[in-house]
Amino acid sequence: MSAWLANYAAFLSDRQADIWTALREHIVICLIAVLFGAVIAIPVGMLLAGNRKGWLNGLVFTIANILQTVPSLALLAILIPVLGIGRTPAIFALFLYSLMPIMRNTFAGFQAVDPNVIEAARGMGYSTAQRLLQIQLPLAFPYIMSGLRVTTVYIISWATLATLIGAGGLGQLIFSGMGVNKKELIVTGALLAVLLALLADFVLGLAEKWVTVRTKSAPAAGTETAG
Amino acid sequence: MRHQVKYFMLALAAFAMAALLSGCSQGNTIRIGTQTFSEPKILAQMYRLLIEDRTDLKVEVMPDLATSSVVLDAIKNNDIQMGTLYTGIIFDNYFPFEMTKDRGQVLKQAQAGFDQYYGLKWYDPYGFENTYAFTVRKELAEQEHLQKISDVRPKAASMRLGVDTSWLEREGDGYPAFQKTYGITFGKTYPMEVALVYNAVASQKMDIVLAYSTDARLKEYGLVTLEDDQHFFPPYDASPVIGKQVLSEHPELNEIIGLLVGKIDAETMIALNYEVDVNKRNEKKVAEEYLRKIGLLK
Repeated sequence: MSAWLANYAAFLSDRQADIWTALREHIVICLIAVLFGAVIAIPVGMLLAGNRKGWLNGLVFTIANILQTVPSLALLAILIPVLGIGRTPAIFALFLYSLMPIMRNTFAGFQAVDPNVIEAARGMGYSTAQRLLQIQLPLAFPYIMSGLRVTTVYIISWATLATLIGAGGLGQLIFSGMGVNKKELIVTGALLAVLLALLADFVLGLAEKWVTVRTKSAPAAGTETAG
Repeated sequence: MRHQVKYFMLALAAFAMAALLSGCSQGNTIRIGTQTFSEPKILAQMYRLLIEDRTDLKVEVMPDLATSSVVLDAIKNNDIQMGTLYTGIIFDNYFPFEMTKDRGQVLKQAQAGFDQYYGLKWYDPYGFENTYAFTVRKELAEQEHLQKISDVRPKAASMRLGVDTSWLEREGDGYPAFQKTYGITFGKTYPMEVALVYNAVASQKMDIVLAYSTDARLKEYGLVTLEDDQHFFPPYDASPVIGKQVLSEHPELNEIIGLLVGKIDAETMIALNYEVDVNKRNEKKVAEEYLRKIGLLK
């Protein structure tokens, strides 16, 4: 066991440049995909929550749902004739997968806001925009964040397939390890993907807490000065 | 209505049981595993037809195992019993080997080593080799006067190289050794599923790719392969392999597996791959046609 560990340490120091590159590529792919996903899916989720046309919600969620169910390898294969190979199609595919959970959670968060609270805000003279940003968004925030966290974790895991279409990332270590009978490559790729997912989840959790504490303390301070 | 549901559930349960049981019944089933590309799939279909024609055994083909290494492990674990492997695989450190580029020597080491360490019987080759081949578009080859790998050197730093998912890591005949032998380092390397490299180079997503020499898409896209002028790549002769345990249980298989040894040359294999990869025909049909043509199947 200790011999194995020593070998593994030697392998790590020998290959650290490649490992860092793979990790960096992986982070870039996931970050861009989730970022684009959030930028599109959060506003859409908000709009759908405020929208009274049931058929439109149904339509958008059905489309997002269908995208979600396409097997990841198949989606990559389908994108090749359109977007070719490399990083772009990989990011695009992961972006599509990120839409559904972020959108659904945002939608649920806004739906969960007590209508009485909104009514009260309206009575106090809040405009629609103020209501949305100062009342509904903070209340829906934990839902949005949990959507973001779930999405990030599984995008990090799915991005390991991106190497099959030439996009690199941690999957490259895993697949090449499978190809040349080097278990340490597979272990390293998989372990880093796990650690990256845990870390991303942890950081997003911290961000959520930080924002929640700030938004909660703000109105309290406001009441004090008013009183 | 109630009854229908009940029967349906019963049928479902029975089906599930049957599926489970069939998974266990190894005694009369031979599983042939294949890698992800068409060549081993066609060969597996040939053996399926031959074995089912000449014995009472059932044959299942298990396609798309990610790499030869997975095929090897699966045979060792008896999850599958047969497959097609290429002699150059010995350089992936499965057992101590002697570095040589000599065809006969490499074959001999594969046969002895996998027998000793993996309990495999490695037959003599089918008669073709499927090795790595640096490949470019015809226009680029003409424009830059590329004929052999060494010709690439002045341009290499600005070239994008597409390779399969394992070559960069290969020890004896992979990228690090290649850099040493040829003194060539490419601008950037893109590992990908090997089936994609042909289109990638043809559509100029890549400037140069490392192809498999028997792939029919070389022909389809009119690509040019460069001569390995420093004789860097070891031989990759394809052979059928089988677990020795299953061979002792079914000794009749020995003769059947031997039927294809020496029967398929490179030109034939490329033509068969062409039928599947370019003409999009079913590999079962292609395999059957060929066996009938050479008279192994009536």
